[in-house]
Amino acid sequence: MVPAIYFDGRSTHATRVDAWRDENVLRWRCANDAQEWSAPWTAIEPSARVIGVPFTLHLEDGAHLQIDHDALPADWFPRHHLIERMVDWLERRWMAALAGIVVVVVSLLGLFEYGLPWAADRIATHMPASVENAMGKQSLAALEGRLLMPTTLPSDRQSHLQSVFRHFVDGVQGAPNVRLGFYQAKAIGANAFALPGGTIVFTDELAEAVPDDAAFIAVIAHELGHQAGHHMLRQVLRSSGVFIVAGLLMGDVTSMGGVAAGIPMFLVDSHYSRGFEENADGFAFRALAGQGIDPEAFVHAMQALERAHPELKGQELRYAASHPLTAERIARAHAASLQFQAAKATVDARPGR
Amino acid sequence: MLPSLPGGSQKGIQSMHDETMASGVYLPELDVIPARDTTEVHRLRFHGNASDYFRIWIVNVALSLVTLGIYSAWATVRTRRYMYSNTTLGGSPFDYLARPLPILKGRLLTVLIFAIYAFAGRIVAPLQAVAALMVAGFMPWLIVKSMMFRARYSSWRGLRFYFSDDYAGAYKWYLGVYFLMGLPFLLFSITAIAGHPGLGALFAFAGLTGIYPWIKGHQQEWMVENHHFGGKSFHFDSAIGNYYSVYIKAAGVALVWFLPCFALVSAVTALITKGNPQAFNPRMPSPYFILAVYAVMAPAYLGVWTFVHTRMTNLLYNQAQLGQYRFRSTLAYWPMLGLYLGNALAVLFTIGLALPWARVRTARYRAEHLEVLGDGDLSDFVRDAFAHGDIGATATEMDSLLGIDIGL
Repeated sequence: MVPAIYFDGRSTHATRVDAWRDENVLRWRCANDAQEWSAPWTAIEPSARVIGVPFTLHLEDGAHLQIDHDALPADWFPRHHLIERMVDWLERRWMAALAGIVVVVVSLLGLFEYGLPWAADRIATHMPASVENAMGKQSLAALEGRLLMPTTLPSDRQSHLQSVFRHFVDGVQGAPNVRLGFYQAKAIGANAFALPGGTIVFTDELAEAVPDDAAFIAVIAHELGHQAGHHMLRQVLRSSGVFIVAGLLMGDVTSMGGVAAGIPMFLVDSHYSRGFEENADGFAFRALAGQGIDPEAFVHAMQALERAHPELKGQELRYAASHPLTAERIARAHAASLQFQAAKATVDARPGR
Repeated sequence: MLPSLPGGSQKGIQSMHDETMASGVYLPELDVIPARDTTEVHRLRFHGNASDYFRIWIVNVALSLVTLGIYSAWATVRTRRYMYSNTTLGGSPFDYLARPLPILKGRLLTVLIFAIYAFAGRIVAPLQAVAALMVAGFMPWLIVKSMMFRARYSSWRGLRFYFSDDYAGAYKWYLGVYFLMGLPFLLFSITAIAGHPGLGALFAFAGLTGIYPWIKGHQQEWMVENHHFGGKSFHFDSAIGNYYSVYIKAAGVALVWFLPCFALVSAVTALITKGNPQAFNPRMPSPYFILAVYAVMAPAYLGVWTFVHTRMTNLLYNQAQLGQYRFRSTLAYWPMLGLYLGNALAVLFTIGLALPWARVRTARYRAEHLEVLGDGDLSDFVRDAFAHGDIGATATEMDSLLGIDIGL
């Protein structure tokens, strides 16, 4: 005999009953023995086990029996909700909860470090080129006339830089199809960036700030690295992914919760873009060395950039926040330069032998 | 649903309250209720505790992540069942009856739609505008479907709640009336062209303050009167003046909260800029500055939001009626603000681990401050004759992701 509460499914009247199992029939009767009901065992649909939640035995006609959480005999429905039975077993253990925390942390790290970039990159490789071109056009249209004004560089300077650019790009193996556009951008200052679909935007201010053609090429090589790796498209896909995942985790995206989620999203995003910057730097060092230009030129370009942006002096984040001019980055350029010089020395030395 | 707190801590309980509220009374109340002086008070109680809920929650989140989100639908059902079943009225628990598979389907569809939306804007901006317009056009439909789903899969004592499919009403009160909000702007433009922009602004402001509370009041009325339970439908005695009073007070509260916060931010900014004129670049403010602005403005926003939320929730229940039963909601501003602020800080400083605790204490406070009054023992509801077909979960999933302002 199990104490239960019977609801007939037709009214909210609650009837206290005692229930018991009689072979393949469930029977229950009023506490005062006035009335008795029964239902075939196979017609009963029990609810799954959850700590502290009473069991509900749903009957065919919409009625149900409510049995206290600890009162249901273990052998009544041993084959129902097998998965949730295991989940329930876990939910009762603090060890499982602690393991759960570890699992959550590890899988979130894995998701953002590997899973999401992997999925975004798979999508990026299947994205038709027209999408990337449309993205580039869209961003350029949004910037032109607002932040980017027609260039004021003298035309001979322009054509000189264009020819240097063309000559360099033609020499780089596997170089993507790119265009170089000069713009006056007082609001942005000295800067250069790659747009999806092959456009490299170079501001007049930066063109005036670079000390020599080698430094100019170093900047171009870096942006070429972004183009070759389709970094803009991949970044957009990744940050869309971060947005969606964070939205799902936080439960909604338009509220204060969304704002709070914005902080980790920002961190994850800049983590990704840092990776792309490193990647583009690496590409630039190789491309420069491949054409006999010392990667030290990259350091000169960076220094020129710093001189052109005195207001950023002493700050952690530089070069439009996404291009941190860290000591690390310079050190890598120096290392690439040393490697280049060593390689050059062996090449130079060879004919002498 | 109003914007939720960091971590949407009131989300679970809020949807539950939809249902408790939904204990609507069907059959337009023709029978005259005999006046009796013995009014029974049926309290809602919440029996859940944070440690049980924490284990349920963390195990289910972990399993959802490990299964790449597939299990999340089962997780949702388990965690909701815990919250629902631990809320009792008249000693009987509420029950959450939704099945995981429809939720999973709805969730996948929502993610797909959302992904397309998030990506569309990066390719062609007008596409996103079109998508946004489409979402706005579907919003009332979405609200109806979402409410139908919630009501359909919530039950008490074996009877399910029901929300009528009043799409026309939804389009009227959740889309049509917002065009009225355009009127003050039109008025403003006309007077501005006529050469009195100041007067126009005054008109526009008066128009907005005149229309907005009226809209909100009617939205509540529509929401409540479309809920049914136990063969009876809800009745709503709204006095539109109440809404004006809430929003006028809210404007005062906003002023009190935002003025000092704004002053603080500008003072600190001025202090920093004074010492070093190069430090602050309005074009490219440092992330620390943005963070500081958030840190100061978030509590102010929370302060105002909590006020509106508390007062509107009270109005919702206190003006609702189901048969001979009435409701009494006695949420108070300062305890609610303390609750939400504590939740926000706890969730923030435990990187989300305090979320179950926050939900449980919110649910407890809200249950403790809601009563059902009436001279019956709550056993006089009968199954209504409405169709009890299944309802897809996509709308409710979209609604919870977009955080649609349903205002419950």
